[in-house]
Amino acid sequence: MSFDFTLIIDAVPKILLGIGLTFQLLVVSAVLGLVLAIGIMLMRISGKWYLSWPAQIYIYIFRGTPILVQIFIVYYGFPQLEFIRESFIWPLFRDPFGCAIVALTLNTGAYVSEILRGGVMGVDRGILEAGTALGLSVRQRFIHLTSPIAIRLALPAYGNDVISLLKSTALASTITLADMTGIARTIVAQTFAPYEIFISLAIIYMILTWILQKSLGRVERYLGRYMQK
Amino acid sequence: MDILVGWWDDYFWGSVVVAQVFVCSLILMIIFGLIGAAAKLSDNFIAQKLANGYTIVFRGTPEILVILLLYFGSAIALTSIAQIFNPDIKFFDVPPFWAGTIAIALIVGSYATETFRGAFLGVNPGSIEAARALGMSNLQTFIYVRVPEMWRLALPAFGNHMLSLVKDTALISIIGLNETLFVAKQAIGTTGEPFIMYIVVGLIYLGFSTIITLSVMGLERFGQRHLVSSR
Repeated sequence: MSFDFTLIIDAVPKILLGIGLTFQLLVVSAVLGLVLAIGIMLMRISGKWYLSWPAQIYIYIFRGTPILVQIFIVYYGFPQLEFIRESFIWPLFRDPFGCAIVALTLNTGAYVSEILRGGVMGVDRGILEAGTALGLSVRQRFIHLTSPIAIRLALPAYGNDVISLLKSTALASTITLADMTGIARTIVAQTFAPYEIFISLAIIYMILTWILQKSLGRVERYLGRYMQK
Repeated sequence: MDILVGWWDDYFWGSVVVAQVFVCSLILMIIFGLIGAAAKLSDNFIAQKLANGYTIVFRGTPEILVILLLYFGSAIALTSIAQIFNPDIKFFDVPPFWAGTIAIALIVGSYATETFRGAFLGVNPGSIEAARALGMSNLQTFIYVRVPEMWRLALPAFGNHMLSLVKDTALISIIGLNETLFVAKQAIGTTGEPFIMYIVVGLIYLGFSTIITLSVMGLERFGQRHLVSSR
């Protein structure tokens, strides 16, 4: 067993061709997932049973099943259903990229909505009471008092979720997408040099994780700047 | 539901494999997590660096990559070792069960390292001082004071780690472990009904997650019984 460095020099540029797709998957599903999560979180804390129950069931299902199973249901399962094939959303499910986005968005939406709820619940009651005393309406209190504090509270956990979303995008390679992992698996199938290829890929992912962590840390410091003495 | 007739027993044995992977990886995960936490808390510089490297590597790489690397990588490594002793061996097959179990235990163990470390540091210093004042030895302090406080602090996060272990089991089907997702693939090959077959897999995993969540809730209530009665 030897470590072939020429193979790595040869393979890394090929793997990096997939970084664009990895980023697209990450950014599109993170943004859509955040929008979905805000909606689900508002349903969950609305206090009306016909809104909070569906939200709770959604969170329970998507947090309780593996993301790989969710991707397979969306990619292999949905095209089997007649009403999806005949509806306007069919072009989305016909293409593996659309399926990966749908599955990743639904998955991350469930986790992020719980993170956001934790942030909202963590807001000090006294501040809200002060808001009421100043005559702010429920909506004004939520927008001007709860949200800014809840975002600060939720950010560290949200950062972890973005990183785990980055790692989940690697699963898109199981539904034929040529992201970085998909390309690496093709190269391994051709050369049968798993050490060289997979370790280089792992290092690329670690660098991406590190960049994400540093930039989220910067945002956290910026939002918490009034706390620093 | 007619199409599922004849597949129930395959799904059952697939679930048994999931349970086996869960138990084995849980034990390994606790061991890796405890070693990592002990190394991070130790005064030894090298041990600290090694433990930091361990958590950075396994928290920064996708789970599927670790599984693939461990499976194909260990197959090649073991083949070359076996060829030293017996040149006739062409390929040494690593069982996907163990490659996958060790891989997910290593991944979740890196998260558990932080949980255990946090729980150790979260023990009330007053309790330790009280134990010292009572003349307890280090070992006695650890068993009677630290551990009872630690497991209560670590439990919520530890429950999440157990859920990740169960869900990561699905990834091991990629390297050919005959768990439920693998069974579903075979069933689809015969019946051509992917939707129902994968929904069944989802329900099985949902069942496992529910059992774990409920047991953790029960344990948490058990751990806080002294707080409830004092109210």
